[in-house]
Amino acid sequence: MEGDVYSFALRNTLNAITDACPDIRSIFMFKENGEIISGEGTRREVAARTVEALNDIMEKAQALGGVQTITFEGTQGTMNVSWMNDSYLVTVVPEEADSKYISTLTNALVPTVLTLLEKISPALGREAPEEPENEEPPVRPAIEPLEETPEESVTTSEESNVPEASAETVVPEPEASQFIVENVGGLFASSDTVRVDNETISQWAEMYEYKKIEEATVETFGGKSARCKLKPMKDSKYEGKGIIQIPEKIQQSLEVKKGELVRVKPVVE
Amino acid sequence: MVKPKRNIQETSEEFNRITVERTASEDSVRAMLEEIKSFDGVIGYILRNTNSAAIDLGDPSKIIDYATLSSSAFEACDQLSELFDLGEVKNIIVEGKDTKTLHATIGENHVSVFMEKNADAKKILERIQMP
Repeated sequence: MEGDVYSFALRNTLNAITDACPDIRSIFMFKENGEIISGEGTRREVAARTVEALNDIMEKAQALGGVQTITFEGTQGTMNVSWMNDSYLVTVVPEEADSKYISTLTNALVPTVLTLLEKISPALGREAPEEPENEEPPVRPAIEPLEETPEESVTTSEESNVPEASAETVVPEPEASQFIVENVGGLFASSDTVRVDNETISQWAEMYEYKKIEEATVETFGGKSARCKLKPMKDSKYEGKGIIQIPEKIQQSLEVKKGELVRVKPVVE
Repeated sequence: MVKPKRNIQETSEEFNRITVERTASEDSVRAMLEEIKSFDGVIGYILRNTNSAAIDLGDPSKIIDYATLSSSAFEACDQLSELFDLGEVKNIIVEGKDTKTLHATIGENHVSVFMEKNADAKKILERIQMP
């Protein structure tokens, strides 16, 4: 879980909470299956030992209808465990900390991010609720392919206005997925080609009746977009992790950098 | 300097005094728990120390579940305190979907109070912490 977009977003959220509340000694999340997402200030082994220590209480607390919160109040600090969506959030604060403020912030921020992530989970490559087989893939009001000028294979645009889908379109309208930007390595990397993992390209091909997908539209959350050549990644370590490798030139034109989120949609023609 | 030996009578008197103090302490905690049991939404309590245990829970079918939960909470607190430098754990509150529990240590006594979800745990805690 640690490597995917989901944990990336949650980890950033936890770090943002720690930045807003420097009093927090430790913050991390875990799921019932033992997956852990820890903030910067928490060592993974400490989080793992905590989960182990809490495991017995969680199990026995079924007698209470399942755990919603656990609070350990000590003379030097307080540990709070809260059930949020399908995860537990653990925070540890010193005795003098403003626990009300911290609780308000975490209770507002974390469930919001979790809900948001659940909503976009199909785009993140996480397990999503199964859809009926015969149903068309969901068409999202996201990005449309931009008009490509013949002399440029990479174009940028400030606009993200979407033209109406053609009534003659046979295949479902391309769907935008979110990816994390990664730099392209290697001397011979093409400056006009973005790369996503093989699995994503295969899924797109399957979704769009095995049409050859050679281009993709990359759109930033700032509203910039670029249509680029698309190729599968060479590096298998990024496989299934929601990563898109974008050459520096395109990153500059889109005004994004490594680690940021972009939306990517295959160009189906 | 040779430490003076205490005779059997002195030792026996000291033992009796400790026993009486412990019993008094346990009795006073139990009296306090009986008082707490009359609070709105309180289901019952478990009182344990090295010598004895007292359980007063309305629903006998829950006794084992509640007793094991109580033990687990006290067992976990040492480990978590060490991991996160929490110091001496004053109390633990476990809130479930239906009910909640408050666990505290009073002297040598481990106390667990079980209550309805809407019961005032803060009021119970204040009563427990009252000297």
